[in-house]
Amino acid sequence: MDKPEKLMIDGKRLDGRSPEELRPFKIVAGALERADGSAYVEMGNNKVFAAVYGPREMHPRHHALPDQAVLRCRYNMAPFSVDDRKKPGPNRRSIEISKVTREALEPVMFLELYPRSVIDVFVEVLQADAGTRTAGINAASVALADAGIPMKDLVSSVAVGKVEETVVMDLFKEEDQWGTTDMPIAMIPRKKAITLLQMDGHFTEEEFKYALDLASRGCTQIYEAQRQALKEKYTMRKEEE
Amino acid sequence: MIHVKTRDLVLPGQLIAEGKYKTRDGAFREGENIFSSVVGLADVREETISVIPLGGQYIPRVGDMVIGVVIDDHRAGWIVDIKSTYTATLLVSDFLRQKVDLFKEDISKILTIGDVVAVEVRSVDERMDILLEGGRPGLGRIKSGKMIEISPMKVPRVLGKKGSMFDVIQNGTGCKLMVGRNGRIMVWGKDEGMINNAVEAIFTIEREAHTSGLTDRIRLMLEKMKSEVN
Repeated sequence: MDKPEKLMIDGKRLDGRSPEELRPFKIVAGALERADGSAYVEMGNNKVFAAVYGPREMHPRHHALPDQAVLRCRYNMAPFSVDDRKKPGPNRRSIEISKVTREALEPVMFLELYPRSVIDVFVEVLQADAGTRTAGINAASVALADAGIPMKDLVSSVAVGKVEETVVMDLFKEEDQWGTTDMPIAMIPRKKAITLLQMDGHFTEEEFKYALDLASRGCTQIYEAQRQALKEKYTMRKEEE
Repeated sequence: MIHVKTRDLVLPGQLIAEGKYKTRDGAFREGENIFSSVVGLADVREETISVIPLGGQYIPRVGDMVIGVVIDDHRAGWIVDIKSTYTATLLVSDFLRQKVDLFKEDISKILTIGDVVAVEVRSVDERMDILLEGGRPGLGRIKSGKMIEISPMKVPRVLGKKGSMFDVIQNGTGCKLMVGRNGRIMVWGKDEGMINNAVEAIFTIEREAHTSGLTDRIRLMLEKMKSEVN
């Protein structure tokens, strides 16, 4: 893929969005039959499944903690999720994302309710188009709620960045690749507390503040959709007969 | 100030009330505010607020009658799977209510791996070590019958108000039921067809647990199934 001549044309982005617009997204709770809780999230061309199992007994036993549950996250990209085939299995990047996903979710969980056990979260990326970790966190938090695991709030996540001197929200692949900055953020929307903040590139202080504010607005939109997805799952059941 | 009605669907992080309420399962307090921690139906009482979860694992409580499967044995008892996050321990002395000389007797003659037992939760401690007991009448080893599993959160619906649903199934099929709090249900009956009717009814209840007028619908369903056989 070659670098496009311009990433911003007349204040619009290459996919026609304005700088502060999210990609179209879709969230479904309870998408998998056999998991204790699950969710499917599409953010633009990202397609991500999250499955939650547990709380269940930890194996190997000595990894369990005596006074609280362990949250175990695995982020994985399917070999066919990107243009060039990705070699299957964990790599440096996916291990890092697994870790930051776990740390983004941990603050909302009541892990002390389930001593000696483990809660497994699997995030599988079927199709990637920049911002898969944020889509993964959004899916994982809905899946945890769907599994009936107590949480203080859902976690919502979105990336902001800079493309040709403009601060933009929810970057897609070309912007991520050729833009100057990418900053994924996860938030507890109710408290506006940040649980994930990574940054690749540069922002001035003003840009950073504006970017945070933008991300906060994006998270609120996603938060509403997450809640809606959970509501739909349970009200749909009511109308099933 | 209360922000939701009883039996409203609430989600994690949703504000339920403000003020001096006590919180129980499914709700938590932050300062003056009380939030839900699970997806469930709000249960707002005069003094306490809780949320009845719509999903999740069975968490044992003292006094619960559960149906377990023996998965292992050790010197003085057995390890029992109770369809929960945690396995439970059943000691010989809690099962037989009499002295057993462990040096002389082989406890695998009393219960062995794969046996099904009706037991009560005797104690749960902060480490979630669970002790069971099975010596009282109505408890003990289950020798025959059909065992089915449903979500433990749907068990109250299978029992119904004051056991109304339970009676409907028993009377409608002539089968005998035993419902464990952990979502395991034993069905006994003389006629295979009737057992299947009861199982069908229970799964229907699980699927439609949140709908109203379910008891009457199940009654009609069982009557219809009965007449189709004759």
